[in-house]
Amino acid sequence: MTTTSSPAGSRPAPAPRDPSSPSLLQRLRRPDVRYLPVAGTLATLVALLVVGQVRYSTARQDFVSMKLISNLLIDNSFLLVLAVGMTFVVLAGGIDLSVGAVVALVGLTVAQLSIAGWPTPVVLVVGVLVGTACGTVIGVLVQHFDVQPFIASLAVLFLARGAATVIGTRSLPIDDPGFSAIASWSLRFGEGRTSWRLNASIFIALGVLAVAYLVLHHTRFGRTVYGLGAADRGHAVGLMGLRAERTRVLVYVISGTCAGIAGLLFAFYTKSGYNLTGVGMELDAIAAVVIGGTLLTGGYGYVLGTGAGVLVYGLIQVLNAREGLDSWWTRVAIGGVLLAFVVLQRVISLKKGPGAAPART
Amino acid sequence: MSTSTTETRADRPATDRPVVQMSGITIDFPGVRALDGVSLRLFPGEVHALMGENGAGKSTLIKALTGVYAIDAGQVLVDGGEVAFAGPSDAQRAGISTVYQEVNLCANLSVAENVMLGHEVRRGPFVDWRATRRRAAEHLARLNLHLDPRSPLESHTIAVQQLVAIARAMVVDAKVLILDEPTSSLDRAEVAELFRVVRQLRDSGVAVLFVSHFMDQVYAISDRMTVLRNGRLVEERLTRDLPRRELISLMIGRSGEELAGVEETARAAIGLHDAGAQPLVSARGLGRQGSVEPFDLDVHRGEILGFAGLLGSGRTEAARLLCGADRPDSGQLDVDGAATRLATPLQALQRGIAYSTEDRKKEGIVGDLTVRENIALALQARRGAWRPVPAKELDAVVDRYMVALNINPKNPNALIRNLSGGNQQKVLLARWLATDPRLLILDEPTRGIDVGAKAEIQRLVVELAQAGMAVLFISSEMDEVLRLSQRVVVMRDRVKVAELVNDETVTTDTVMATIAADPAADPAADPAADPAAPADEPRKGGAA
Repeated sequence: MTTTSSPAGSRPAPAPRDPSSPSLLQRLRRPDVRYLPVAGTLATLVALLVVGQVRYSTARQDFVSMKLISNLLIDNSFLLVLAVGMTFVVLAGGIDLSVGAVVALVGLTVAQLSIAGWPTPVVLVVGVLVGTACGTVIGVLVQHFDVQPFIASLAVLFLARGAATVIGTRSLPIDDPGFSAIASWSLRFGEGRTSWRLNASIFIALGVLAVAYLVLHHTRFGRTVYGLGAADRGHAVGLMGLRAERTRVLVYVISGTCAGIAGLLFAFYTKSGYNLTGVGMELDAIAAVVIGGTLLTGGYGYVLGTGAGVLVYGLIQVLNAREGLDSWWTRVAIGGVLLAFVVLQRVISLKKGPGAAPART
Repeated sequence: MSTSTTETRADRPATDRPVVQMSGITIDFPGVRALDGVSLRLFPGEVHALMGENGAGKSTLIKALTGVYAIDAGQVLVDGGEVAFAGPSDAQRAGISTVYQEVNLCANLSVAENVMLGHEVRRGPFVDWRATRRRAAEHLARLNLHLDPRSPLESHTIAVQQLVAIARAMVVDAKVLILDEPTSSLDRAEVAELFRVVRQLRDSGVAVLFVSHFMDQVYAISDRMTVLRNGRLVEERLTRDLPRRELISLMIGRSGEELAGVEETARAAIGLHDAGAQPLVSARGLGRQGSVEPFDLDVHRGEILGFAGLLGSGRTEAARLLCGADRPDSGQLDVDGAATRLATPLQALQRGIAYSTEDRKKEGIVGDLTVRENIALALQARRGAWRPVPAKELDAVVDRYMVALNINPKNPNALIRNLSGGNQQKVLLARWLATDPRLLILDEPTRGIDVGAKAEIQRLVVELAQAGMAVLFISSEMDEVLRLSQRVVVMRDRVKVAELVNDETVTTDTVMATIAADPAADPAADPAADPAAPADEPRKGGAA
């Protein structure tokens, strides 16, 4: 074999003269395949909005309006927070099935503590911490006891749902004045039919989304989360000297904490706690994450896509209601969209090209 | 050929202080002493090759140095001071970086992230991506790599990924760079590129520890060698003072003549099959769209038929058509003279055709099963799920092959993933031999395994053929193919381009020339023009 150094030109991929800094225009012209699922989500969102605008706009009122947006956000704020937490877990290659049950447990905890006369701020903090604790249990099980995320979070699902049922099987109304004040506070804009509002839940949910975006895309921790979801199940992350173990626990802690916050938002929304709330809500959250363009195998996706996924989910519900169909048709439609996105993801991961996997030929 | 044009750096005075000095390193695993009092010295500005068979303790020693394993006894000095690393990040901080055999980076992240993560430029808690990308580009440029730092790592070839891994290793200004089998998935040009970078780093004073199975590469790049055997230090010597033959015998603990003996038996023992005999398996125009062009092939009892060609030339694809793993979309396959349709590997197995895969890890072993269970798999499959192999019978089969193939450890209940590559390969061989095949297709049976095991497998193949089995032997190592086989089929670009009778006129050079021949330049050599008669094609390559 030849051992003299080869000229630089012998590199397999012919590269442009200075490829290290392609212009924005160049990057737009050759879009990264990684953005395709998110683009699909946005296209779906736009399509749904157009359908709604065409079918349900009246002379006096457009379908697409600030009112629509604010209602979507108000009705789905808890789902958005859940889905954001779920995005961390899914990106890291895991799954968290416990979050729906945690929402119920947090709601009941908050209701009971309010009735017991605890001060509102303490009640809120304890509510969130209940979620954090559930997430921590899953994280420790997954990382330190090497339990499958599916099983670990399923165990916590039963624990949380069971604990909620132990606390009470009746719907407990929350009439604590401080709590009600937060739940019903909102900023109003506009007059009459077109008026819209922003409530505390919207601010909290969007705040969580913003923080999640910053953390995932602009911190070392966030990139480690992506690394954990790489094809080798995060093996490389540890060898790269990043804190793989801590990060894997933390994604579940984050998901649990988000579930705690979502539990509060759901309690704000219903002003009560009930042990059977949130049955199947974890699956809604996972659906929103997948529709938002995150690969269930981990490593690929964007938390802002999850936001769009939640909006798609909410819009399907709204259109269904406007159409006057039975609410189960919502499920059918969401199932269809989910199926389409899963197939799209599969096609993309197959197309990622020869460089994607070590060539085996 | 160790005709390196660059002078070796071995002429330094011996008084130079090593940057790393490991002494008396002992590591015990449950039941096994993996390392026993091993020493290793790494000097700055020197490429040091760590040699040994699979299971000799090379990986363990590297992991001991980088803090992955705790050391049970012994001492590690870095720059003269004793250290005890708790993990790879500790070692990195002390200037010891490792690039592993399989690229251990995150393929889903960008090039910049892979180079810089852990050392990224930060503003408060947030990553300054602009500065980080610029820094990454600088580090890449030092290795003469000009990549878009934003591009996902997976969009690049394995070779480039390997170089990115080196760039990452150098971000911390490593004093010691460990390269663990870095070339196993690279082609020649890529290896040359890698070596250019390694020499550049060596010349800048980095101590490089190089681990490879490829002798040529070791002799081309290294200045000094440490040889391990069975977890013990055998020798540390300057590369130029250690001839290959001696190195091999140091590694395997036997004399090289023994190995050479295999070659002679192989050639001598088996004559060419009778011209008139009915072939065991006969393919006519067998092909599959996008996989391999139609080819003709006869395989006779008691012969070893070699398949030569580059990776991706269609060797594996052709074999998969013969064993029912892929379905042909043209042509005919005769077994024992009768037209046969093989829809699944099981059907092939029932007709006595067994295929041992080239991808040992993914398609071969079942890592979480024991050696015994792995051997039983094909035998059981052949019998069907409702007729379990009696335990006694299975024990007898397992014992027989574990002894016959010299499988180590001699424990049929060991998990196969804990075995070395060579022993895993032997277990796979045992699996197929247990089904008593008439045609055994071996796809790269000696890839990535050490010299000793290689010789044993080669010897076994010869014995099988002598006993009347037909063997189809696929390998990238031309020497091996020519040493073993009576006829050689040459593949190029998914086409069977030639079938050579392996007599003394056929040499590595002739085969290489056949593989390299440009079909456009020689119309007669264009098999697409006449796929029916590739066997009649004139030999090319000047060995008339």
